[in-house]
Amino acid sequence: MAARTSVARAVRQLSSTAAAARRPSPFMCQRWAAQASQQQRLFSVSAALREKKYTEDHEWIEMSSDGKTCTLGISTYAAKALGDVVYIELPQIEMDVSEGDAIGAVESVKSASDILTPVSGTVAEVNSELEEKPANINKDPEGAAWIAKITVAGEPGGKMMSAEEYAEFTEDG
Amino acid sequence: MCQAQRVFGRRLCTIGDTTGARRRSSSLWTDWASAPAAPSPHDKLIPRRRHMLRSFRIGSAVRSTTPGRSADRIYSSFTEKLANPAHRLQSYVSSSHDPYLNLSIEDHILHNTPADSTVLFLYVNRPCVVIGRNQNPWTEVNLAILNAARGTHSPKDSEPPGIGSMDLVRRRSGGGAVFHDEGNLNWSIKCPRGDFTRDKHAEMVVRALRKMGIERARVNTRHDIVLDQGHERHVSDAQDTHQTPYTVPEGELPRPLKVSGSAYKLTRQHALHHATLLLSSPNLHIIPQYLRSPAKEFIQAHGVESVSSPVANIGLDVQPFQQHLQAEFATMYAELGTPSIVETVGDDYLNMPEIRKGYDELQTEDWIWSQTPAFSLTLDSKDDIGIQMKVHHGAIKSLDFENLDLRDETRTALRTALVGLKLHEIRNWASFLQCRMPSWDKSLVPVAQRLDQLLPVPELPKR
Repeated sequence: MAARTSVARAVRQLSSTAAAARRPSPFMCQRWAAQASQQQRLFSVSAALREKKYTEDHEWIEMSSDGKTCTLGISTYAAKALGDVVYIELPQIEMDVSEGDAIGAVESVKSASDILTPVSGTVAEVNSELEEKPANINKDPEGAAWIAKITVAGEPGGKMMSAEEYAEFTEDG
Repeated sequence: MCQAQRVFGRRLCTIGDTTGARRRSSSLWTDWASAPAAPSPHDKLIPRRRHMLRSFRIGSAVRSTTPGRSADRIYSSFTEKLANPAHRLQSYVSSSHDPYLNLSIEDHILHNTPADSTVLFLYVNRPCVVIGRNQNPWTEVNLAILNAARGTHSPKDSEPPGIGSMDLVRRRSGGGAVFHDEGNLNWSIKCPRGDFTRDKHAEMVVRALRKMGIERARVNTRHDIVLDQGHERHVSDAQDTHQTPYTVPEGELPRPLKVSGSAYKLTRQHALHHATLLLSSPNLHIIPQYLRSPAKEFIQAHGVESVSSPVANIGLDVQPFQQHLQAEFATMYAELGTPSIVETVGDDYLNMPEIRKGYDELQTEDWIWSQTPAFSLTLDSKDDIGIQMKVHHGAIKSLDFENLDLRDETRTALRTALVGLKLHEIRNWASFLQCRMPSWDKSLVPVAQRLDQLLPVPELPKR
């Protein structure tokens, strides 16, 4: 059920990305293709472990199929709450990060938040497209506007929520 | 020139302010606009307990109000008092005018008070220009006159009076560039994240202003405080902090004058709202000179661009207004009890290692210069020196030439000398290039002169 929700979300992300982007980007299509194949493999491993998880600070993480890398971003809820994002300070590649560290920051009109990592490891990749187009965070925060990929060195710490739990958490908040 | 065309998705396009273009009015002031975002070391777990026994002298006022307490108690640290869960309402005022110290104390308050506490902190800085965390000092600040004001030459009659040495400060929060001086009161409120709204504390300040007879003050749609300039008096609800008898419909003249600009920082538990308040600045007329950069039109930058607004002084003295604001704060939060701490902090707080650490970090060259978001300086070949320089993390990443006067070997030598170098390490282009270039090419003279004009790096005072 959770996996089906994720696939549905990936499809929504594709359509919203395509609508939002001024020109179709081969980069994005490839990314989606990679995500889709990853989704398929999820079923053969453990759906619970690979499922997108959310933190109380409104970040999401998603483990790669081999469990070595996680992709990190901010939630749609957070992106809406922040308003129009004008700058994203990305972490530096190869930076070692510890669970709970601020690895970057999102600046929006008159308000900003740190981006915290719930998992320790090393920054493997950053979404440098966000340097040019920070507003992408408002368009597709849980898809094309991911922030960083981290080679993980351990399990995520702190409270991690499933999409359903997170939806409840943000309704309560 | 349409500025929106040469910025990359920056605030110009997104905020509801006029055009974002700098108005050529004599009363300009840039905006503390957006918000604070600082991966500060304090975001990590604070080793509070470890510092509890630190010998640290608190203000004499407190000692006199707490007779009979043990010496340990008297000398217990500021941090311990901040963190006491019983202290749900706290109020501080700084006697220091050091912008680096006041910002460090503010950061310390943000990260060390109980999640459910509400804290007022008031401070006044000596003249300085404060830029947002994600701003470019070369585009936001007239760096050459900061340097001049530091006394590298004798002041001329034409120069603004009374400024003296000027600090350049990059704060940890986001937003735009502002000018501070002794007539500007900085007010800062930390409250629980759940209680936070963008307007509630600006409304509190408006109530305090109105009690002092400033009936034209209101909160505008951008959460700033303005003075309405309407000529006719209309009927208006005196309790409405978003309207005055002189409010004219948005966009119509006369335009309200801005007196306070806000910025916010949100963490999981806390929200910080800090803002300026122009009470009685003696420098209003020269503020635009400091906040207008000659390089701005040649630099394409990521990050946050300031939005200018015409400004005014409110016309109140800082000291009495401070007390009124503290009283308004106590009234607003009366249900939390009377402020359990009302205290003056000052220069001696620099003795606290945590505050000292933040203070030192704010003054490092890496923070002030290299934190600048990526940018490129483009000087075309038709009417300029024909060079494009790209800068990432404050270091020169690439140099491209359209300048036909420069020989190939000179171009190669320039690249060798400059690429990879931190831009702030070059204090004087002419002498730097003369030292670093294997052979001096006369065609470099105008290049060095132009770069000196556009990319000055003033010496920062060692304090």
